[in-house]
Formats: sequence, structure tokens, C-alpha cells
Amino acid sequence: MKFVPFLMLATCISVSANAQQQPSTESTENQAVEPELRAQPTAKQWLLRLSDSLRKLNFDTSFVVVRNNRAEPYRWVHGIAEGRELELISSLNGPRKEAIRVDNTVSYFESNQQPYSVNTDSISGPIPRAFTSDIEVISLSYDLVEVGKSRILGRPAQLIRMVSKDKQRFGYWIWLDIESGLLLKAAIINNEGELLEQIQFTHLTISEQSNEMLGQLLEAELPETHQSSPEVPKAEFKWQVNWLPEGFEMLESNQHFVDPINLPVDFILFNDGLVDVSVYVSATDEAPRKSTISQTGATVLLTQIREGYEITVVGKVPSQTADAIADSITFN
Amino acid sequence: MSNKISESVSAFLDSQEAEGLSIDDLKQDQQLTDTWGRYHMIGDVMRGETGQYIMPDLANDIAVAIAAEPTVLAPQPKPSMGATVKAKVIQLVKPAGQFAIAASAAGLMVLGVQQANMVEQEPLVPSQVFQPIPFGGVADPVSYNYEPASISEQKQALIKRQQKLQAILLDHQKQIKLQASKAAAEEQQDTPEN
Repeated sequence: MKFVPFLMLATCISVSANAQQQPSTESTENQAVEPELRAQPTAKQWLLRLSDSLRKLNFDTSFVVVRNNRAEPYRWVHGIAEGRELELISSLNGPRKEAIRVDNTVSYFESNQQPYSVNTDSISGPIPRAFTSDIEVISLSYDLVEVGKSRILGRPAQLIRMVSKDKQRFGYWIWLDIESGLLLKAAIINNEGELLEQIQFTHLTISEQSNEMLGQLLEAELPETHQSSPEVPKAEFKWQVNWLPEGFEMLESNQHFVDPINLPVDFILFNDGLVDVSVYVSATDEAPRKSTISQTGATVLLTQIREGYEITVVGKVPSQTADAIADSITFN
Repeated sequence: MSNKISESVSAFLDSQEAEGLSIDDLKQDQQLTDTWGRYHMIGDVMRGETGQYIMPDLANDIAVAIAAEPTVLAPQPKPSMGATVKAKVIQLVKPAGQFAIAASAAGLMVLGVQQANMVEQEPLVPSQVFQPIPFGGVADPVSYNYEPASISEQKQALIKRQQKLQAILLDHQKQIKLQASKAAAEEQQDTPEN
């Protein structure tokens, strides 16, 4: 007879556990939808809503990134706890790769290097940062078009296309949850309409309360902020880039060593609000060589050698664009 | 032994209540125990459940064998040591557990057989789609063992270039990550340390 009270106790615990879980499985169906969104919102309004939802909702979701016949699964959790914004993106296969964010501090944990933190308001990972940043900047270079409705992840979704105005960059198609405004699917499409890369969500839970696991981030000790000691910022280069698609601006220029081959490079990073393009220039004694292109998903890597320098252009842009950028470089 | 007691044992055997006889009495009295055993044996034989051999002293034999076994003196673990080891394990496991992620629905998404082996490869190695450097210019090998030195040199150069490309690709991703957003950096300057 001794086990009977224990059984009852166990039942009590499981019942209370269920009771605790209940609010988290509840979706935000009854959350008030802003009135102007009811009347055919524009693509820009949809993107504003996406950015807003990504910042404010408590969600727990999984997705896979599909490129070159390969799928990489991730989990993504976001929530607000004690007035602080918490976020975690974690790759589920292979070596551990994790990024956590507490307000404006993002920490990266990767298996092959020391963890480090960066002061920024968004995680750089498989989800384009642009989705949580300024939509106005994107609309300078891309036409935003609301296309149609479809069913993604078992939910009604709105398709928005971001079409490059000058055909110098790839197009983005994104499917947004009509109910919450969150991302359900994203695809990168080239000018021929071919699919290069896509992000497909496989699970989405929106809850009233932030995930308990995220709450633990508040107590976690974050790694130190990255010190940019080996880099010489704002270096004077012996070369310049003379052409870029309109809308690209320089985010960073420095000289540093590329790990693990210890290659000294001049480096410039450009961004158009959605896409990052890096230009590397390093001295070489190899013979001149015309452009060589490698591509993984939407990421293009172009190298050429001329005048004793190896030029490398990396980014999610069409190879013609990367080639034009590389060709435009002149040496003093 | 009186018939009455024998009857009681018999009644007990049939799961009936026996007057003035308890299981404890039965265990205490060697004679009663023997009777009890014998009655069972009779029942077993009548039902044909004894098998081929009857070993009435099996229990005794086992008891003797157990008594003859050497006593193993196992050292008691020191309780204090056990406690500290346990505490450490919890500390180590907990941070990992915080971010440990259950296999999710993502895993269920079947995207093709070949991916099962390929997802392990990290990081992404770009696949060459355009290779303008010709392998040609070298005569086709005449014998099976013949391999011109220049081919292996070219191969090595190619591997080296692949490594370089991969390093640059990783550096590109890292540099993007290192970009502190202006808004966040300004905010950080306003409030240097909390």
C-alpha cells in the first residue's frame, strides 16, 4: 500500500506540469490584430509587422536551411523575460554552433573557437538580419510585392517577394504567417527564377510566456566582447572598388589575418540592407588568372589574380555582379 | 504429531483457514515444516509435476552452498567523496542542459537519403561550378602506373586553393558577425557598464 500515496503525488505533479504547459501551447489567436492590417496590408506593412513580431513575440520554432541538396536543421527561440529580449539560435546537426542574444549583446559559441560577444541588436546567422532591421533601407534596392496567399507549415501564409530593382542581386521570397506575422519560409531566387537556397520552418509555437530555458540566459555569464586587436581599422589601401550595385554601402574596412591559413588581407565589407558582400585583396606571386567562381546555395565566391594581387569577392550576389565588382578594382 | 495438526497443515495447504495454526508456527517447528514439505511433494507427485528427478533436499543443499561461499567485504564508498563528485557533475551538465535541444520536428523532415551523410560536413565547402584552369596540356598516361608529376602538383595546388577559399568564406561569415550595429554600439557607449 505504500506506493499509493506516491502514485497520487506523481499524478499531482504531472497534472500541475500540464497546467503549467497549457499557457505555452496556447497560440495568440485572440491577440488583437491591428485594424489597418485587416484591410489588405501592403508588402511593406507585412515586413514591418514581421520585424515587430520577431522583436516582441515569445516563439519557439525549428527550421531547416536547404542548399545544394543539403539540409541543416536549427532551433530558434525568442522571448521577453523581465523586460529583456532574449534569443537563441542553435544548429542541431554536427559540431555545436549557437548564438544567444540578451538585448544588445550577441554571443557566439562555436566548436572550433573561443566564444565571443558582440554589441549588436541582431544575431548574424541563417535568418537574414534585415528582417529585424530597417525596412526602408531594403526598399531602396528592392521592390516589395505582396503576391498571394498559400499554406505553409499548416498555416495560412502571405507571400512577399523582394525583387532586385537592378537585377544585380538575388530576389527573396518570404512567406509570413497571416496570424502572427512571423516567418514561415524564405527562399533566395536568381534572375532566372531558379531556387538557390531556402529556409523552411518545421515547427512554430507562439506563447504568452517566454520559454523557461531563455530565462536562464539572464543568469548566464556571457563571454567577453570581441577585441578587434589584430585588425587595423580604416586602413589606407593601395586599391579601390570603383563599382558596386546601387545601395551598397561600406560597413567595415580593415587589414587582418584570415584564420587558419594566416593570410594577410585588405578587407572591405559592403551591405545593401539585406545582403553582405566582402572584398579581399592580398598580394600573391601566382600568375594572373581570370575569374574563378564557386557557389554554395546563394553564396558566390569569386577569385581572380592580376597585377600581383589576388582579389576575392564573397557574398550572396549573382556571379556577374561579383565579377563586375572584382573587375572594377584598380590599384594605385 | 497428532492427526489434528496434520489435518491443519493439510487444510493450510489447500489455502483454507486452519485452526490454531499460523504460517509462523509452521516455520518455527521443524517437524511441521517437514510435514508441509512432504505434503507438497505428495501433491506434486500425484499431479505429475515433479519432473524426472525428485530432490527433496535441494533447499538444504543450496543453503549449505551459500554458507560455504566466502564473504566478500566490499569497501563502503566515502559519503563525502560521492557528494562532491555528484555536485560537480551537476554543475558541468547543467549549462549544457540549458541549451540542449531535443530532437525536433526538423529531424523528421526527410529531404533525401544522401543528406544523412552529408550534413555532418562542416563548414560548407563551396563546390566548383566553373573551373577555367585546364588540366589539359599533359599527355594521357600510357601505362597504368604512369602519373606525370605535374598532375599531383596541380592536385595539391587545387586542394590548397580549396582550403584558402574555405578559410575566406568562413572569414566572411565571421566578419559579418563582428559587425556591431551602430545603434547598439551607441547605446553601449551611453551606458558603459551596468
